[in-house]
Amino acid sequence: MKQLLCLLALAWLSALPALAQRAISGKVTNTDGEALAGVTVISPGQAGGTSTNEAGIYQISVPGDAGVLRFTYTGYQTIELALGTSSEYNPVLQPNTNTLQELVVVGYGTQQKRDITGNIATVNGDDLPDIPAQSFDQLLQGRATGVNVSLPNGVLNNPPVFRIRGINSISLSSYPLIVIDGMPSFTGDISSPLPAFNFTAHNVLSGLNPADIESIDILKDASAAAIYGSRASSGVVLITTKNGHEGSARVNYDAWVGWSQPARLPNMLNAQQYVKIKNEGAHNAGLPDQFFLDSINGQLIDTRWFDHIYRTGFSHNQNLSFSGGGARTKYYISLEYTEQEGIIRKNNFERLGGRFNLSHRFGERFRVGTNMAYSNIENQSTGTGSVPGQSFYWYGMGRLAMTSPPNVGPYLTNGDYNGGWPLGSGKNLQSFIYPNAVALLDRDRFVNQARQLQASVFAELEPWKGLLLKSQYSRMDIGSDDEFYNSPLNDDFGYIYKSLLKNRRWNWQNTAGYDFNIANRHAFNVLAGNEQQYSEVNYFGADRYGAADPFFATFGGNYLGNTVYGQDSRNFLYSWFGRVSYAFDQKYLLTANLRQDEYSAFAPGHRTGTFWGISGGWILSEEAFWEGAVGEWVNYFKLRGSYGEVGNNSVGDYAALSLFGSGIYGDNATFYFSQAGNPNLSWETSKKTDIGFQFGLLNDRLQGEYTWFKSLIDGLLLQAPQPPSLGIPNNAIAANIGSMQNTGHEFGLSGVILQKRMFSWRSTVNLTFMRNEVLELSAGNEDIFGYTADFELANITRVGESAGSIFAIPTQGVNPENGRRIFVKADGTLVQYQHLDDEPWTLVSNGLPTSAPSILTDGRVYGPALPKWFGGWNNVFQYGNLDLNLEFNFAGGNYVYNGSKAGLRDQRWWNNHTDVLDRWSESNTSGSIPRLVYGDNVSNGSALPISENVEKADFLRLRNIMLGYQLPAALLSRAHITGLRIYVNVNNAWLLTSYSGTDPEVSTNGNSNQAPNVDRNTAPMARSYTIGLNLNL
Amino acid sequence: MNTMLFFRKQMFIVSVLALLLTPACRRELLDQAPDEQISDATAFDTPDRIEKLRFGLYDALKAPSMYGSRFMVYSDIRGEEFLNEGMQTGNGLQVWNHSLDAFFPEVTEVWTAGYAIINGCNIFIDGIQKNKAVLHNDQLAIQYEAEAKFIRGLTYYCLLTLYARPYPDGNGAKPGLILRLLPEPGSSNKNQSRTTVAAVYDQILEDLDFARDNLPLNRGNDYGNTTLAHRNTAIALKTRVLLTMGRYQDLITEASTIVSATAPFVATGQGVPNALQDDILRVFSSPYTTLENIFSLPNTAADPLYLQRAAASYYNPPPNGLGDYSLNPNGILMDAAFAATDDRRQFVFDNPENNKPYLIKYPTGTPHTDYVPVIRYAEVLLNLSEAHARTAGLSQRAVDLLNAVRGRSNPAGVYALSDFASADALIAAILKERRIELMGEGFRSNDCTRLLLPIPGKGNIATIQPNDTRYIWPIPSNELDTNDFCEQNPGY
Repeated sequence: MKQLLCLLALAWLSALPALAQRAISGKVTNTDGEALAGVTVISPGQAGGTSTNEAGIYQISVPGDAGVLRFTYTGYQTIELALGTSSEYNPVLQPNTNTLQELVVVGYGTQQKRDITGNIATVNGDDLPDIPAQSFDQLLQGRATGVNVSLPNGVLNNPPVFRIRGINSISLSSYPLIVIDGMPSFTGDISSPLPAFNFTAHNVLSGLNPADIESIDILKDASAAAIYGSRASSGVVLITTKNGHEGSARVNYDAWVGWSQPARLPNMLNAQQYVKIKNEGAHNAGLPDQFFLDSINGQLIDTRWFDHIYRTGFSHNQNLSFSGGGARTKYYISLEYTEQEGIIRKNNFERLGGRFNLSHRFGERFRVGTNMAYSNIENQSTGTGSVPGQSFYWYGMGRLAMTSPPNVGPYLTNGDYNGGWPLGSGKNLQSFIYPNAVALLDRDRFVNQARQLQASVFAELEPWKGLLLKSQYSRMDIGSDDEFYNSPLNDDFGYIYKSLLKNRRWNWQNTAGYDFNIANRHAFNVLAGNEQQYSEVNYFGADRYGAADPFFATFGGNYLGNTVYGQDSRNFLYSWFGRVSYAFDQKYLLTANLRQDEYSAFAPGHRTGTFWGISGGWILSEEAFWEGAVGEWVNYFKLRGSYGEVGNNSVGDYAALSLFGSGIYGDNATFYFSQAGNPNLSWETSKKTDIGFQFGLLNDRLQGEYTWFKSLIDGLLLQAPQPPSLGIPNNAIAANIGSMQNTGHEFGLSGVILQKRMFSWRSTVNLTFMRNEVLELSAGNEDIFGYTADFELANITRVGESAGSIFAIPTQGVNPENGRRIFVKADGTLVQYQHLDDEPWTLVSNGLPTSAPSILTDGRVYGPALPKWFGGWNNVFQYGNLDLNLEFNFAGGNYVYNGSKAGLRDQRWWNNHTDVLDRWSESNTSGSIPRLVYGDNVSNGSALPISENVEKADFLRLRNIMLGYQLPAALLSRAHITGLRIYVNVNNAWLLTSYSGTDPEVSTNGNSNQAPNVDRNTAPMARSYTIGLNLNL
Repeated sequence: MNTMLFFRKQMFIVSVLALLLTPACRRELLDQAPDEQISDATAFDTPDRIEKLRFGLYDALKAPSMYGSRFMVYSDIRGEEFLNEGMQTGNGLQVWNHSLDAFFPEVTEVWTAGYAIINGCNIFIDGIQKNKAVLHNDQLAIQYEAEAKFIRGLTYYCLLTLYARPYPDGNGAKPGLILRLLPEPGSSNKNQSRTTVAAVYDQILEDLDFARDNLPLNRGNDYGNTTLAHRNTAIALKTRVLLTMGRYQDLITEASTIVSATAPFVATGQGVPNALQDDILRVFSSPYTTLENIFSLPNTAADPLYLQRAAASYYNPPPNGLGDYSLNPNGILMDAAFAATDDRRQFVFDNPENNKPYLIKYPTGTPHTDYVPVIRYAEVLLNLSEAHARTAGLSQRAVDLLNAVRGRSNPAGVYALSDFASADALIAAILKERRIELMGEGFRSNDCTRLLLPIPGKGNIATIQPNDTRYIWPIPSNELDTNDFCEQNPGY
């Protein structure tokens, strides 16, 4: 201890300033010879510093014994010049390809990238494309190894499917923990919490303006994430927002306009084909003609419902920011306004937001600051049927666009609506029970408005060099109100619902960090801290039904009845944590993390959990032996590995309790058994192993990494199914049973492929192979079935298979003899189906009656729903002032259940895909579609999931193509403009896939772990075109 | 500069900071409990809470898949009186066209709702026995137990009619239900096999006997006499159970306590004077609490039946319902026995939108506040009439009882004993009257199966023969998956 104190005192003394000063000056330029303004110039270890002026000129006064000058500038490599006797130094800064020296944000601090032994992927905020997106997470597609992000469909502000190294839970959320400037954010959809009212999508993360993001650091392994303990199982995403840099003020104005269109819509029957096909089905069902071309007032009608439901949406975005600061104060202020129209009519997004980041240093040792952001968001939607749980809603525009019959239109000849709910069927003899999509779109209203405040204050004290005490208090307040209105003009009834959901959280972190170095060889970085987090969700809502008069269209109008809803819940997390990083000789690295969490959702005695991670690294390239051998080629090589245990605590706030709810029976209040709790409930634990290496070749011109990982999740929290005859609420009790494992390999490579005077090509590839396997489920390893919207069973979680695998009854096409769909039972028997027959199910072999196949006994696992490989390939081509970005992403090895296809071939009154034209008939015995029988909902998979609708999900997408032009500096300088770039961009430009639906990445069930990769009645993806500019003053 | 002084100054700042932070620790926030539900530990804490738990048992009968009112709808649409409109899966289509599979929501949800009621009763019976001291009133404790047993008996009976072979098929020797009589607050007793149909009926009769002997005679007002069980309620339900078992003589004995010897038929004795109303429309309109409504479940604007779950939603055409089922014009509607002038024709609405007939017995649109009729005096009379016809052949009392029900809606249509050539003809007339009188009240399926009659087809849906697998429902797959001893019904 004494020795340590001595060392500390020495370190302190050595930092005392010397007195003699000398003046140094010069000009800083980049490799193109352009002067760089605002470059920070300091003499390390000394107070103060300066920055270059407009012409790149600096002047600085340094102590006589100062050995080096350090030049720092965003986007360029920091360089340190050894000072000789000269008084003029003119450094040339290299663009920042050497990312190894960058600071990487880690939990509760930062570390130099080269010293990191955990697995962290970093995405630079400037690399996020300027496209019509509502939240930053949508923009992470294909950007980092091990990170798979996909959009569920074209509904605006629908939270993307976001998986770090696959899914890490079965019942709980697999969404990563998102931390914004140190504050753990709420995640998910925060429009109305009752599924029946959740029509608009509202991703919480849309409250953060993507343009405010400086960097995104994704913590993937246990070592990096363990400091977040019980919340880290699905990975942690650390967002750092922008702050000012020392130097003159900068003003940025970014703007774009864009257009979005639905991509890859299916080909539907026109009216003539529809009438022919449906009547053919009717004849085969023993009915006369049911459908007529002149069904409405004798007029010939041919309606393309897509044209009435989808559109080309216009969007624009305006972003203005000011940043800068001096040696003491730094600031970043931004304002943003964006309006975006989705591909579905009435689906709009609007955000007005601002951010204010400020820090100020008092003296040398004390700094205070604040980060504050406010946004006002409006999500307008319609019943899209494309948010989780709603795919079978009659309101769903995704389905109505496909099912609505083309031989009637939205209007009658006199201009009136052709019915509301239901759609008028005119002369047709079958009634169309679904609503008139256009009447709903015109008259109904679905609006979610939210206000989001995120604010934090922090104070840092550095009582002596290396020791940093920090306290940060943060608040996140979200108020989200929903309104939806069904006009009585449509349904003769009238209905309005309004709700307010408040998500509020405070978080207080106190940390002490100490960096010190012993004998210049033993570098320590020690951190200890405490965190408390209290979260509260309050909801109330009411619906009013039976409008007294169609005049009443607001909540205050008169209605005949009311229902009210309310729900409050709270949780509290109390934690201690610590980290020690040790580097010996800058080549042997060791980091250990420890965290203890106590969480209110668990019963006393089961609240405390301890999580930890340990990692080590060896920078071989620092070894003497490296120099001679491969050192010339491989300038950097690091081996690293980690192991640790982290948790997932995203259980319900009161999951451990047995409860009685209260209701009403006539005039009296009641109590009833509402939840069977499990007092032994605890977190899920992920045991993560991660081994890999990183390298830099040819002076870091090419950098790469490889990682093998394994994540074993134990104590999976499952709703252990109970025999329904026990009468336990929901037939399930939450319990920590079951285990699952993810294993995989990650490859990343980036570098400069070509570098000529005028032309360069930089390329980044990331590729992940992974496999998910369920190892154990509840007692008896009973399968867990995944239902789409509680209805269609096409996913299964089974021991030995990947979680949520695609599950269906095997079918073998159409029997050419009689046009019946052939199904294969578990014992291999071929059976066929004839709708409406007295004995609909018969054996193919002899035509004798048999029992119906069942998904439970005859279903077969077709393969994983989770991709087995995925990645991205991003390219930047630069020619003079022109740049071209080509970004691809790809995934595959998995399957989709294309439930929409069942709907598109359903033989009720619904319109069909043109592929039904190839139906079996006496004259077309090789037809691919079973003989049409009106009302048949079995042969094509509406009633039972069939393998005919299981498709491969492999794809390659040209996700983004952007062409930009940087106006020449000479031209701009006269107008006092620092930089002006204009660009055009096409998003989701091109898709290569064998998938027959709209898009293989569609996810009807959103982030569901149990029913992933189902495409059921979902709206398609958007393709968007944008033109924009970035202006720097 | 004095280094030591500097360190002291820094230490001072650190200490002040640490002091500021210390009281901020809020560990007490770790104790959180919900605001909207009470803990199981306090559910039986006061007589008031026990009473509310008792109301909760009745309310459980209003579960959407039981009497709230899909159980009734499913039992009716299995029969021939209704036609599916719109072919919408999820609205009972597969119940209607007999293509249910073990995992279908209709199959799992009725079973689940039924056993939730049963477990609620078992927890309540156990709870009041353990908390007699709280209640401090042994008579009330026994009455509560009787109410729970009535509800449990009713629920077991409902489940039997769908999931097990009818009693006459082997005199109850076929597999029945899983007989759960103990409280199941958690997961301890997963594996249990099905007892025989007869054993379940024995339990139902035991529960109903207990209920009959311990329920109050009268609740003191119309609302209570309709919405809570009293002695007559248990007896009336027993007549239904005995009819289903084919124990006609026992039925006659049981019914004698609530049906007078001569017309006008009323419940004699000390209980509620249940009787037919002059006008059947009154039975199905507000306040729904006539002496004919022996047991109904109340619905109010504050506690309505929900959209797509109420019988009103299935049967009323828009705007009052979704009109999933219209009436079959070739069913009882075209039968000569159902005269055009019959008052009960007022429950049939010819929808001008599509020229199809619809049942409007529950006419109130959303919120659906028509009470759910579980037991009516008219049914008791028809039960008794059939028992007499089956035991005494051409019996005047059977005809009188039949006429009491028929004559109040169709005075011109009353029968004379001489109208019937045989007992079978009389029984046929009684069965037909049940179709007219009880239409849409959940009786049709059981009226076929209890007699081992085919379930008639409708439209292009074929007749289901008694030996067909589809004659009864499958046991739900989630029961079979989790209960190792439970067997599936043959054929599924």
